[in-house]
Amino acid sequence: MNQKNWQKIRENKQFLQPFLVREKVIDAIREFFKKEGFHEVETPLLVQSPGTEPYLEVFESTLVTPGFENKKAYLLTSPELSMKKLLAAGTGSIFTICKSFRNGEGISSFHNPEFSILEWYRVDADYTDVMKDCEDLLLFILKKLELNANGKNKLEYQATEYDLSSPWERISVSEAFQKYAGVSKEDMLDEKKIVKIAKSKGYLVSEFTTWEEAYNQILLNEIEPHLGKSKPTILYDYPASQAALSKKKDSDPRFAERFEFYLAGIELGNAFSELTDADEQEARMVADLQYRKELGKVEYKIDSDFISALRLGLPRTGGIAVGVDRLVMLFANVPSIKDTLLFPVDDVFDYVGRLFPGVV
Amino acid sequence: MIIKAGNIRKGSYILFKGSPHLVTQADFVSPGKGSAFMRSRLRSIKTGNTQEFTFKSVEPVEEVEVQSQKMQFLYNDGDSAVFMNGQTYEQVEVPLALIGDKAKILTPDIQVHVMFYEGQAVDINFPPKITLQVVQAEEAVAGNTMGTARKLVTVESGFELLAPLFVKEGDFIAINTDTLQYDSRVNK
Repeated sequence: MNQKNWQKIRENKQFLQPFLVREKVIDAIREFFKKEGFHEVETPLLVQSPGTEPYLEVFESTLVTPGFENKKAYLLTSPELSMKKLLAAGTGSIFTICKSFRNGEGISSFHNPEFSILEWYRVDADYTDVMKDCEDLLLFILKKLELNANGKNKLEYQATEYDLSSPWERISVSEAFQKYAGVSKEDMLDEKKIVKIAKSKGYLVSEFTTWEEAYNQILLNEIEPHLGKSKPTILYDYPASQAALSKKKDSDPRFAERFEFYLAGIELGNAFSELTDADEQEARMVADLQYRKELGKVEYKIDSDFISALRLGLPRTGGIAVGVDRLVMLFANVPSIKDTLLFPVDDVFDYVGRLFPGVV
Repeated sequence: MIIKAGNIRKGSYILFKGSPHLVTQADFVSPGKGSAFMRSRLRSIKTGNTQEFTFKSVEPVEEVEVQSQKMQFLYNDGDSAVFMNGQTYEQVEVPLALIGDKAKILTPDIQVHVMFYEGQAVDINFPPKITLQVVQAEEAVAGNTMGTARKLVTVESGFELLAPLFVKEGDFIAINTDTLQYDSRVNK
Protein backbone atom coordinates (compact mmCIF):
# COMPACT_ATOMS: atom_id res chain seq x y z
CA MET A 1 0.00 0.00 0.00
CA ASN A 2 1.46 3.33 -1.01
CA GLN A 3 1.43 6.04 1.59
CA LYS A 4 -0.62 9.14 1.00
CA ASN A 5 1.08 12.51 0.96
CA TRP A 6 -0.30 13.59 4.36
CA GLN A 7 0.96 10.31 5.85
CA LYS A 8 4.42 10.77 4.34
CA ILE A 9 4.61 14.29 5.75
CA ARG A 10 3.55 13.05 9.18
CA GLU A 11 6.35 10.51 9.10
CA ASN A 12 9.00 12.83 7.72
CA LYS A 13 8.76 16.60 7.55
CA GLN A 14 11.09 16.61 4.53
CA PHE A 15 8.10 15.63 2.37
CA LEU A 16 6.67 19.06 3.15
CA GLN A 17 9.45 20.71 1.15
CA PRO A 18 7.76 20.80 -2.31
CA PHE A 19 4.70 22.34 -0.70
CA LEU A 20 6.78 25.11 0.84
CA VAL A 21 8.12 25.75 -2.66
CA ARG A 22 4.54 25.75 -3.96
CA GLU A 23 3.59 28.43 -1.46
CA LYS A 24 6.53 30.59 -2.55
CA VAL A 25 5.87 30.09 -6.28
CA ILE A 26 2.28 31.28 -5.83
CA ASP A 27 3.40 34.27 -3.74
CA ALA A 28 5.91 35.17 -6.45
CA ILE A 29 3.26 34.92 -9.21
CA ARG A 30 1.01 37.34 -7.31
CA GLU A 31 3.86 39.74 -6.62
CA PHE A 32 4.94 39.68 -10.28
CA PHE A 33 1.53 40.55 -11.72
CA LYS A 34 0.75 43.22 -9.12
CA LYS A 35 4.11 44.82 -9.90
CA GLU A 36 3.13 44.71 -13.60
CA GLY A 37 -0.11 46.58 -12.83
CA PHE A 38 -2.54 43.64 -13.20
CA HIS A 39 -5.64 43.21 -11.02
CA GLU A 40 -6.26 39.82 -9.46
CA VAL A 41 -9.83 38.63 -10.05
CA GLU A 42 -11.93 35.66 -8.94
CA THR A 43 -14.18 33.86 -11.39
CA PRO A 44 -16.79 31.11 -10.83
CA LEU A 45 -15.79 27.44 -10.89
CA LEU A 46 -19.38 26.24 -11.18
CA VAL A 47 -20.92 27.40 -14.45
CA GLN A 48 -23.81 26.80 -16.83
CA SER A 49 -21.70 26.87 -20.02
CA PRO A 50 -18.10 25.76 -19.80
CA GLY A 51 -15.63 26.14 -22.67
CA THR A 52 -16.47 24.32 -25.90
CA GLU A 53 -13.15 22.54 -26.59
CA PRO A 54 -14.29 19.32 -28.27
CA TYR A 55 -11.87 16.89 -26.62
CA LEU A 56 -12.18 18.08 -23.02
CA GLU A 57 -14.71 16.38 -20.80
CA VAL A 58 -16.44 18.14 -17.92
CA PHE A 59 -17.72 17.21 -14.46
CA GLU A 60 -21.49 17.55 -14.29
CA SER A 61 -23.62 18.53 -11.36
CA THR A 62 -27.03 20.08 -10.71
CA LEU A 63 -27.85 23.45 -9.24
CA VAL A 64 -30.90 23.01 -7.01
CA THR A 65 -32.76 26.13 -5.91
CA PRO A 66 -36.10 25.63 -4.08
CA GLY A 67 -38.93 27.12 -6.08
CA PHE A 68 -36.96 27.15 -9.31
CA GLU A 69 -36.32 24.63 -12.01
CA ASN A 70 -33.13 22.60 -11.44
CA LYS A 71 -30.26 23.69 -13.65
CA LYS A 72 -27.48 21.58 -15.04
CA ALA A 73 -24.17 22.85 -13.71
CA TYR A 74 -20.59 22.08 -14.72
CA LEU A 75 -17.16 22.55 -13.21
CA LEU A 76 -15.17 24.68 -15.61
CA THR A 77 -12.24 23.46 -17.69
CA SER A 78 -10.62 26.92 -17.65
CA PRO A 79 -11.68 30.41 -16.47
CA GLU A 80 -11.16 31.91 -19.94
CA LEU A 81 -14.76 32.88 -20.75
CA SER A 82 -15.33 34.74 -17.46
CA MET A 83 -11.97 36.48 -17.79
CA LYS A 84 -12.90 37.83 -21.21
CA LYS A 85 -16.26 39.12 -19.95
CA LEU A 86 -14.27 41.15 -17.44
CA LEU A 87 -11.98 42.46 -20.18
CA ALA A 88 -15.07 43.60 -22.09
CA ALA A 89 -16.24 45.25 -18.86
CA GLY A 90 -13.08 47.34 -18.96
CA THR A 91 -11.05 45.99 -16.04
CA GLY A 92 -7.76 46.35 -17.89
CA SER A 93 -5.04 43.69 -17.49
CA ILE A 94 -6.12 40.92 -15.11
CA PHE A 95 -4.95 37.60 -13.72
CA THR A 96 -6.46 34.75 -11.74
CA ILE A 97 -5.19 31.60 -10.02
CA CYS A 98 -7.99 29.05 -9.72
CA LYS A 99 -8.84 25.38 -9.86
CA SER A 100 -9.95 23.89 -13.16
CA PHE A 101 -11.39 20.45 -13.76
CA ARG A 102 -11.08 17.94 -16.58
CA ASN A 103 -12.84 14.61 -16.49
CA GLY A 104 -12.00 11.35 -18.20
CA GLU A 105 -8.30 12.05 -18.73
CA GLY A 106 -5.81 9.25 -18.39
CA ILE A 107 -3.22 8.74 -15.73
CA SER A 108 0.02 10.67 -16.05
CA SER A 109 2.79 12.42 -14.15
CA PHE A 110 1.46 15.69 -15.54
CA HIS A 111 -2.32 15.42 -15.08
CA ASN A 112 -4.71 15.53 -12.15
CA PRO A 113 -8.48 15.87 -12.73
CA GLU A 114 -8.48 18.95 -10.47
CA PHE A 115 -5.56 21.29 -11.06
CA SER A 116 -4.52 24.91 -10.64
CA ILE A 117 -4.48 27.30 -13.58
CA LEU A 118 -2.88 30.70 -13.75
CA GLU A 119 -4.46 32.83 -16.46
CA TRP A 120 -3.41 36.33 -17.32
CA TYR A 121 -4.65 38.75 -19.96
CA ARG A 122 -2.59 41.76 -20.96
CA VAL A 123 -4.59 44.48 -22.74
CA ASP A 124 -3.26 46.49 -25.67
CA ALA A 125 -0.98 43.54 -26.31
CA ASP A 126 -0.68 40.41 -28.43
CA TYR A 127 0.90 36.97 -28.03
CA THR A 128 4.44 38.30 -28.48
CA ASP A 129 3.97 40.46 -25.36
CA VAL A 130 2.77 37.35 -23.50
CA MET A 131 5.94 35.52 -24.61
CA LYS A 132 7.91 38.27 -22.87
CA ASP A 133 5.70 37.96 -19.77
CA CYS A 134 6.46 34.22 -19.60
CA GLU A 135 10.20 34.85 -19.73
CA ASP A 136 9.99 37.57 -17.08
CA LEU A 137 7.71 35.54 -14.81
CA LEU A 138 9.90 32.43 -14.71
CA LEU A 139 13.00 34.50 -14.03
CA PHE A 140 11.15 36.40 -11.30
CA ILE A 141 10.10 33.15 -9.60
CA LEU A 142 13.66 31.81 -9.84
CA LYS A 143 14.96 34.94 -8.11
CA LYS A 144 12.25 34.93 -5.43
CA LEU A 145 13.02 31.29 -4.59
CA GLU A 146 16.65 32.31 -4.14
CA LEU A 147 17.60 29.71 -6.73
CA ASN A 148 19.43 32.34 -8.74
CA ALA A 149 22.08 33.29 -6.19
CA ASN A 150 24.85 33.12 -8.79
CA GLY A 151 22.87 35.31 -11.22
CA LYS A 152 23.20 32.72 -13.99
CA ASN A 153 19.46 32.11 -14.45
CA LYS A 154 19.99 28.35 -14.22
CA LEU A 155 17.32 25.96 -12.96
CA GLU A 156 18.20 22.40 -12.08
CA TYR A 157 15.42 19.91 -12.80
CA GLN A 158 15.82 16.14 -12.44
CA ALA A 159 19.61 16.32 -12.73
CA THR A 160 19.61 18.54 -15.86
CA GLU A 161 20.40 22.24 -15.88
CA TYR A 162 18.17 24.61 -17.85
CA ASP A 163 18.93 28.20 -18.77
CA LEU A 164 15.94 30.46 -18.20
CA SER A 165 17.65 33.57 -19.63
CA SER A 166 15.76 35.67 -22.14
CA PRO A 167 15.29 35.25 -25.06
CA TRP A 168 13.99 31.68 -25.06
CA GLU A 169 14.12 29.52 -28.16
CA ARG A 170 11.29 30.40 -30.56
CA ILE A 171 10.22 28.13 -33.41
CA SER A 172 6.99 28.14 -35.42
CA VAL A 173 4.95 24.96 -35.85
CA SER A 174 5.62 24.88 -39.59
CA GLU A 175 9.38 25.43 -39.09
CA ALA A 176 9.39 22.63 -36.52
CA PHE A 177 7.59 20.22 -38.87
CA GLN A 178 10.13 20.99 -41.56
CA LYS A 179 13.17 20.85 -39.27
CA TYR A 180 12.38 17.82 -37.13
CA ALA A 181 9.92 15.76 -39.19
CA GLY A 182 10.83 16.76 -42.77
CA VAL A 183 7.23 17.78 -43.49
CA SER A 184 6.61 20.95 -45.49
CA LYS A 185 4.11 23.60 -44.47
CA GLU A 186 1.81 22.78 -47.38
CA ASP A 187 1.86 19.04 -46.68
CA MET A 188 1.27 19.61 -42.97
CA LEU A 189 -1.91 21.60 -43.68
CA ASP A 190 -3.28 19.11 -46.22
CA GLU A 191 -5.43 16.42 -44.61
CA LYS A 192 -4.84 13.74 -47.24
CA LYS A 193 -1.12 14.40 -47.50
CA ILE A 194 -0.37 14.42 -43.78
CA VAL A 195 -2.29 11.17 -43.21
CA LYS A 196 -0.34 9.60 -46.07
CA ILE A 197 2.95 10.90 -44.64
CA ALA A 198 2.02 9.52 -41.21
CA LYS A 199 1.41 6.14 -42.83
CA SER A 200 4.74 6.18 -44.65
CA LYS A 201 6.47 7.05 -41.37
CA GLY A 202 5.07 3.83 -39.88
CA TYR A 203 2.22 5.21 -37.76
CA LEU A 204 -0.95 3.19 -37.65
CA VAL A 205 -3.39 4.81 -40.04
CA SER A 206 -6.95 3.75 -40.84
CA GLU A 207 -9.71 5.20 -42.97
CA PHE A 208 -10.87 7.02 -39.81
CA THR A 209 -7.54 8.69 -39.06
CA THR A 210 -8.16 12.44 -38.92
CA TRP A 211 -5.89 15.33 -39.82
CA GLU A 212 -5.71 16.18 -36.10
CA GLU A 213 -4.53 12.68 -35.16
CA ALA A 214 -1.87 12.49 -37.86
CA TYR A 215 -0.65 16.03 -37.13
CA ASN A 216 -0.50 15.48 -33.38
CA GLN A 217 1.10 12.05 -33.58
CA ILE A 218 3.94 13.47 -35.65
CA LEU A 219 4.15 16.48 -33.34
CA LEU A 220 4.34 14.29 -30.22
CA ASN A 221 6.75 11.69 -31.60
CA GLU A 222 9.09 13.74 -33.73
CA ILE A 223 8.91 17.36 -32.60
CA GLU A 224 8.10 17.60 -28.90
CA PRO A 225 11.15 15.56 -27.80
CA HIS A 226 13.33 18.39 -29.20
CA LEU A 227 11.59 21.20 -27.33
CA GLY A 228 12.77 22.79 -24.08
CA LYS A 229 15.91 20.64 -23.93
CA SER A 230 18.40 23.15 -22.52
CA LYS A 231 16.23 26.24 -22.26
CA PRO A 232 12.50 26.90 -22.64
CA THR A 233 11.08 26.67 -26.17
CA ILE A 234 8.17 28.71 -27.47
CA LEU A 235 6.32 26.84 -30.23
CA TYR A 236 4.14 29.36 -32.06
CA ASP A 237 1.71 29.94 -34.95
CA TYR A 238 -0.51 26.86 -34.89
CA PRO A 239 -2.74 25.73 -37.73
CA ALA A 240 -5.95 27.76 -37.35
CA SER A 241 -8.05 24.67 -36.58
CA GLN A 242 -5.93 24.09 -33.45
CA ALA A 243 -6.69 27.44 -31.88
CA ALA A 244 -10.34 27.86 -30.98
CA LEU A 245 -10.14 31.22 -29.23
CA SER A 246 -7.25 32.87 -30.98
CA LYS A 247 -6.91 35.46 -33.70
CA LYS A 248 -5.83 34.33 -37.16
CA LYS A 249 -2.61 35.73 -38.58
CA ASP A 250 -3.14 38.64 -40.92
CA SER A 251 -0.21 37.49 -43.07
CA ASP A 252 -1.47 33.87 -43.42
CA PRO A 253 -4.95 33.13 -42.06
CA ARG A 254 -4.31 29.37 -42.27
CA PHE A 255 -2.40 29.91 -39.01
CA ALA A 256 -3.44 31.44 -35.70
CA GLU A 257 -1.53 33.55 -33.19
CA ARG A 258 -1.19 30.86 -30.57
CA PHE A 259 1.87 29.57 -28.72
CA GLU A 260 2.76 26.96 -26.15
CA PHE A 261 5.92 26.91 -24.11
CA TYR A 262 7.88 23.87 -23.05
CA LEU A 263 10.61 23.12 -20.57
CA ALA A 264 12.13 19.75 -19.71
CA GLY A 265 9.55 17.91 -21.80
CA ILE A 266 6.69 19.57 -19.94
CA GLU A 267 4.08 21.68 -21.72
CA LEU A 268 3.64 24.63 -19.37
CA GLY A 269 1.27 27.08 -21.00
CA ASN A 270 -0.99 27.86 -23.93
CA ALA A 271 -1.37 31.44 -25.17
CA PHE A 272 -3.32 33.39 -27.77
CA SER A 273 -3.70 36.76 -29.33
CA GLU A 274 -7.32 36.72 -28.32
CA LEU A 275 -10.02 36.49 -30.94
CA THR A 276 -12.17 39.61 -30.63
CA ASP A 277 -14.58 38.99 -33.54
CA ALA A 278 -17.90 37.92 -31.99
CA ASP A 279 -19.38 36.39 -35.16
CA GLU A 280 -16.34 34.29 -35.87
CA GLN A 281 -16.10 33.20 -32.22
CA GLU A 282 -19.75 32.18 -32.19
CA ALA A 283 -19.39 30.20 -35.40
CA ARG A 284 -16.33 28.37 -34.03
CA MET A 285 -18.09 27.54 -30.76
CA VAL A 286 -21.19 26.26 -32.54
CA ALA A 287 -18.97 24.03 -34.68
CA ASP A 288 -17.11 22.83 -31.54
CA LEU A 289 -20.36 21.95 -29.78
CA GLN A 290 -21.50 20.04 -32.86
CA TYR A 291 -18.22 18.13 -32.86
CA ARG A 292 -18.60 17.43 -29.12
CA LYS A 293 -21.95 15.85 -29.94
CA GLU A 294 -20.37 13.65 -32.63
CA LEU A 295 -17.67 12.59 -30.17
CA GLY A 296 -20.32 11.67 -27.59
CA LYS A 297 -19.14 14.27 -25.08
CA VAL A 298 -21.41 15.98 -22.55
CA GLU A 299 -23.57 18.57 -24.33
CA TYR A 300 -24.36 22.05 -23.03
CA LYS A 301 -25.34 25.45 -24.32
CA ILE A 302 -23.03 28.05 -25.75
CA ASP A 303 -22.18 30.84 -23.27
CA SER A 304 -24.25 33.56 -24.93
CA ASP A 305 -23.10 36.06 -22.31
CA PHE A 306 -19.56 35.55 -23.57
CA ILE A 307 -20.59 36.21 -27.17
CA SER A 308 -22.47 39.37 -26.17
CA ALA A 309 -19.40 40.53 -24.24
CA LEU A 310 -17.38 40.14 -27.45
CA ARG A 311 -20.03 42.12 -29.34
CA LEU A 312 -19.61 45.00 -26.89
CA GLY A 313 -15.94 44.95 -27.74
CA LEU A 314 -12.83 43.31 -26.32
CA PRO A 315 -9.64 45.36 -26.23
CA ARG A 316 -6.71 44.01 -28.23
CA THR A 317 -5.45 41.39 -25.74
CA GLY A 318 -2.86 38.67 -25.34
CA GLY A 319 -3.71 35.93 -22.85
CA ILE A 320 -2.42 32.63 -21.53
CA ALA A 321 -3.22 29.67 -19.27
CA VAL A 322 -0.30 28.20 -17.33
CA GLY A 323 -0.37 25.00 -15.27
CA VAL A 324 0.62 26.10 -11.78
CA ASP A 325 1.22 22.56 -10.53
CA ARG A 326 3.59 21.90 -13.43
CA LEU A 327 5.48 25.11 -12.64
CA VAL A 328 5.81 23.92 -9.05
CA MET A 329 7.12 20.54 -10.31
CA LEU A 330 9.95 22.37 -12.03
CA PHE A 331 10.88 24.74 -9.23
CA ALA A 332 10.54 22.07 -6.50
CA ASN A 333 12.47 19.60 -8.70
CA VAL A 334 9.97 16.75 -8.30
CA PRO A 335 9.14 14.21 -11.04
CA SER A 336 5.36 14.08 -10.75
CA ILE A 337 2.43 16.44 -10.32
CA LYS A 338 1.43 14.18 -7.41
CA ASP A 339 4.40 15.55 -5.48
CA THR A 340 3.05 19.10 -5.80
CA LEU A 341 -0.50 18.41 -4.62
CA LEU A 342 -1.14 17.80 -0.91
CA PHE A 343 -4.10 15.66 -1.98
CA PRO A 344 -3.53 14.20 -5.45
CA VAL A 345 -6.51 12.30 -6.84
CA ASP A 346 -5.05 8.92 -5.79
CA ASP A 347 -5.07 10.08 -2.17
CA VAL A 348 -8.69 11.20 -2.38
CA PHE A 349 -10.35 8.37 -4.32
CA ASP A 350 -9.63 4.69 -3.78
CA TYR A 351 -10.12 3.82 -7.44
CA VAL A 352 -6.62 2.95 -8.57
CA GLY A 353 -6.42 -0.57 -7.15
CA ARG A 354 -9.85 -1.42 -8.47
CA LEU A 355 -9.38 -0.15 -12.00
CA PHE A 356 -5.91 -1.47 -12.47
CA PRO A 357 -5.36 -4.72 -10.60
CA GLY A 358 -1.71 -5.23 -9.90
CA VAL A 359 -0.93 -1.56 -9.46
CA VAL A 360 -0.07 -1.08 -5.80
CA MET B 1 -4.94 -9.93 -26.45
CA ILE B 2 -5.67 -6.72 -28.33
CA ILE B 3 -6.16 -3.68 -26.13
CA LYS B 4 -6.44 0.04 -26.78
CA ALA B 5 -3.19 1.94 -26.41
CA GLY B 6 -4.98 4.21 -23.92
CA ASN B 7 -5.17 1.21 -21.58
CA ILE B 8 -1.53 0.23 -21.54
CA ARG B 9 0.07 0.62 -18.14
CA LYS B 10 3.51 0.69 -16.74
CA GLY B 11 4.41 -2.99 -16.35
CA SER B 12 2.38 -4.16 -19.39
CA TYR B 13 4.12 -6.27 -22.03
CA ILE B 14 3.19 -5.39 -25.60
CA LEU B 15 4.27 -6.12 -29.15
CA PHE B 16 5.82 -3.01 -30.68
CA LYS B 17 6.90 -3.20 -34.33
CA GLY B 18 6.63 -6.95 -34.05
CA SER B 19 8.90 -7.33 -31.06
CA PRO B 20 8.01 -7.78 -27.36
CA HIS B 21 8.53 -4.77 -25.11
CA LEU B 22 7.97 -3.94 -21.47
CA VAL B 23 6.15 -0.65 -20.86
CA THR B 24 8.33 1.18 -18.33
CA GLN B 25 6.36 4.41 -18.43
CA ALA B 26 2.94 5.34 -19.77
CA ASP B 27 1.57 8.85 -19.60
CA PHE B 28 -1.69 10.20 -20.92
CA VAL B 29 -1.22 13.29 -23.08
CA SER B 30 -3.63 15.56 -24.96
CA PRO B 31 -1.60 18.02 -27.00
CA GLY B 32 -3.07 21.51 -26.78
CA LYS B 33 -6.48 20.22 -25.72
CA GLY B 34 -6.41 17.87 -28.75
CA SER B 35 -7.48 14.25 -28.79
CA ALA B 36 -6.03 11.69 -26.38
CA PHE B 37 -2.62 10.06 -26.86
CA MET B 38 -0.53 7.68 -24.78
CA ARG B 39 3.15 8.53 -24.42
CA SER B 40 5.11 5.44 -23.53
CA ARG B 41 8.63 4.36 -22.79
CA LEU B 42 9.26 0.85 -24.06
CA ARG B 43 12.08 -1.52 -23.25
CA SER B 44 12.79 -4.39 -25.58
CA ILE B 45 12.82 -7.62 -23.60
CA LYS B 46 15.19 -9.07 -26.19
CA THR B 47 17.89 -6.38 -26.25
CA GLY B 48 17.17 -4.15 -23.25
CA ASN B 49 17.11 -1.11 -25.57
CA THR B 50 14.68 1.61 -24.61
CA GLN B 51 12.68 3.94 -26.85
CA GLU B 52 9.79 6.34 -26.60
CA PHE B 53 6.63 6.16 -28.66
CA THR B 54 3.36 8.04 -28.51
CA PHE B 55 0.27 6.09 -29.55
CA LYS B 56 -3.18 7.39 -30.34
CA SER B 57 -5.26 6.28 -27.35
CA VAL B 58 -7.68 4.45 -29.63
CA GLU B 59 -4.92 2.56 -31.45
CA PRO B 60 -5.08 -1.24 -31.04
CA VAL B 61 -2.02 -2.73 -29.40
CA GLU B 62 -1.25 -6.41 -28.82
CA GLU B 63 -0.52 -7.38 -25.26
CA VAL B 64 1.78 -10.39 -24.93
CA GLU B 65 1.67 -13.04 -22.29
CA VAL B 66 4.53 -13.28 -19.87
CA GLN B 67 4.81 -15.92 -17.14
CA SER B 68 6.29 -15.27 -13.76
CA GLN B 69 7.93 -17.65 -11.34
CA LYS B 70 9.04 -16.90 -7.78
CA MET B 71 12.78 -17.58 -7.49
CA GLN B 72 15.69 -16.99 -5.19
CA PHE B 73 18.73 -14.93 -6.19
CA LEU B 74 22.01 -16.90 -6.05
CA TYR B 75 24.79 -14.82 -7.57
CA ASN B 76 25.78 -12.43 -10.30
CA ASP B 77 28.46 -13.66 -12.72
CA GLY B 78 29.11 -10.28 -14.35
CA ASP B 79 26.91 -10.89 -17.40
CA SER B 80 23.87 -12.48 -15.84
CA ALA B 81 22.12 -12.83 -12.51
CA VAL B 82 21.45 -16.44 -11.55
CA PHE B 83 18.23 -17.48 -9.82
CA MET B 84 16.94 -20.80 -8.46
CA ASN B 85 13.48 -22.26 -8.10
CA GLY B 86 13.27 -23.30 -4.40
CA GLN B 87 11.12 -26.37 -5.16
CA THR B 88 12.71 -27.81 -8.30
CA TYR B 89 16.24 -26.40 -7.76
CA GLU B 90 16.14 -25.45 -11.43
CA GLN B 91 18.44 -22.49 -12.18
CA VAL B 92 18.01 -19.71 -14.72
CA GLU B 93 20.20 -16.86 -15.88
CA VAL B 94 18.79 -13.41 -16.57
CA PRO B 95 21.09 -11.11 -18.58
CA LEU B 96 22.06 -8.02 -16.56
CA ALA B 97 21.38 -5.87 -19.63
CA LEU B 98 17.71 -6.79 -19.27
CA ILE B 99 17.57 -6.25 -15.50
CA GLY B 100 19.20 -2.82 -15.65
CA ASP B 101 19.90 -0.84 -12.48
CA LYS B 102 17.64 -3.05 -10.40
CA ALA B 103 20.48 -5.59 -10.30
CA LYS B 104 22.14 -3.27 -7.78
CA ILE B 105 19.67 -4.12 -5.03
CA LEU B 106 19.90 -7.90 -5.35
CA THR B 107 21.11 -9.54 -2.15
CA PRO B 108 21.77 -13.26 -1.63
CA ASP B 109 18.63 -15.33 -1.05
CA ILE B 110 16.22 -12.48 -1.91
CA GLN B 111 13.00 -13.76 -3.52
CA VAL B 112 11.92 -12.10 -6.76
CA HIS B 113 9.59 -12.91 -9.63
CA VAL B 114 11.50 -13.97 -12.72
CA MET B 115 9.56 -13.16 -15.88
CA PHE B 116 9.56 -15.58 -18.82
CA TYR B 117 8.59 -14.87 -22.42
CA GLU B 118 8.37 -17.90 -24.71
CA GLY B 119 10.44 -19.85 -22.19
CA GLN B 120 13.24 -17.27 -21.96
CA ALA B 121 13.93 -15.43 -18.70
CA VAL B 122 13.66 -11.77 -19.67
CA ASP B 123 13.29 -9.69 -16.50
CA ILE B 124 12.80 -9.75 -12.76
CA ASN B 125 10.17 -8.08 -10.62
CA PHE B 126 10.65 -7.03 -7.02
CA PRO B 127 7.95 -6.28 -4.49
CA PRO B 128 7.20 -2.50 -4.49
CA LYS B 129 9.59 -1.96 -1.57
CA ILE B 130 12.43 -3.96 -0.11
CA THR B 131 14.28 -3.47 3.15
CA LEU B 132 18.07 -3.39 3.16
CA GLN B 133 20.61 -2.63 5.89
CA VAL B 134 22.80 0.46 5.70
CA VAL B 135 26.44 -0.63 5.87
CA GLN B 136 28.01 2.79 5.41
CA ALA B 137 26.71 6.32 5.97
CA GLU B 138 28.41 9.68 5.98
CA GLU B 139 28.20 11.67 9.21
CA ALA B 140 25.47 14.30 9.05
CA VAL B 141 26.78 17.85 8.81
CA ALA B 142 25.58 19.85 11.82
CA GLY B 143 23.34 22.82 11.16
CA ASN B 144 21.99 21.44 7.91
CA THR B 145 18.91 19.59 9.07
CA MET B 146 16.15 21.46 7.26
CA GLY B 147 15.14 21.40 3.65
CA THR B 148 16.02 18.69 1.21
CA ALA B 149 19.45 17.89 2.61
CA ARG B 150 20.45 14.33 1.79
CA LYS B 151 23.56 12.26 2.19
CA LEU B 152 25.02 9.25 0.48
CA VAL B 153 24.56 5.85 2.14
CA THR B 154 25.61 2.37 1.03
CA VAL B 155 23.34 -0.63 1.60
CA GLU B 156 24.34 -4.28 2.00
CA SER B 157 24.05 -5.06 -1.71
CA GLY B 158 26.72 -2.40 -2.36
CA PHE B 159 24.19 0.02 -3.86
CA GLU B 160 24.68 3.72 -3.04
CA LEU B 161 21.73 6.07 -2.71
CA LEU B 162 20.70 9.37 -1.15
CA ALA B 163 18.92 9.22 2.20
CA PRO B 164 17.85 11.77 4.83
CA LEU B 165 20.51 12.94 7.27
CA PHE B 166 19.11 10.98 10.23
CA VAL B 167 19.86 7.60 8.62
CA LYS B 168 22.77 5.89 10.39
CA GLU B 169 25.01 2.92 9.77
CA GLY B 170 23.21 -0.26 10.87
CA ASP B 171 19.71 1.17 10.17
CA PHE B 172 17.30 -0.71 7.95
CA ILE B 173 15.77 1.35 5.16
CA ALA B 174 13.00 0.62 2.68
CA ILE B 175 13.89 1.28 -0.95
CA ASN B 176 11.32 1.86 -3.66
CA THR B 177 12.23 -0.85 -6.17
CA ASP B 178 10.74 1.09 -9.04
CA THR B 179 12.63 4.36 -8.62
CA LEU B 180 15.53 2.86 -6.60
CA GLN B 181 15.10 5.75 -4.20
CA TYR B 182 14.96 5.91 -0.42
CA ASP B 183 11.45 5.37 0.87
CA SER B 184 11.55 5.27 4.67
CA ARG B 185 13.43 4.06 7.73
CA VAL B 186 12.27 0.70 9.04
CA ASN B 187 12.26 -0.29 12.72
CA LYS B 188 13.50 -3.84 13.15
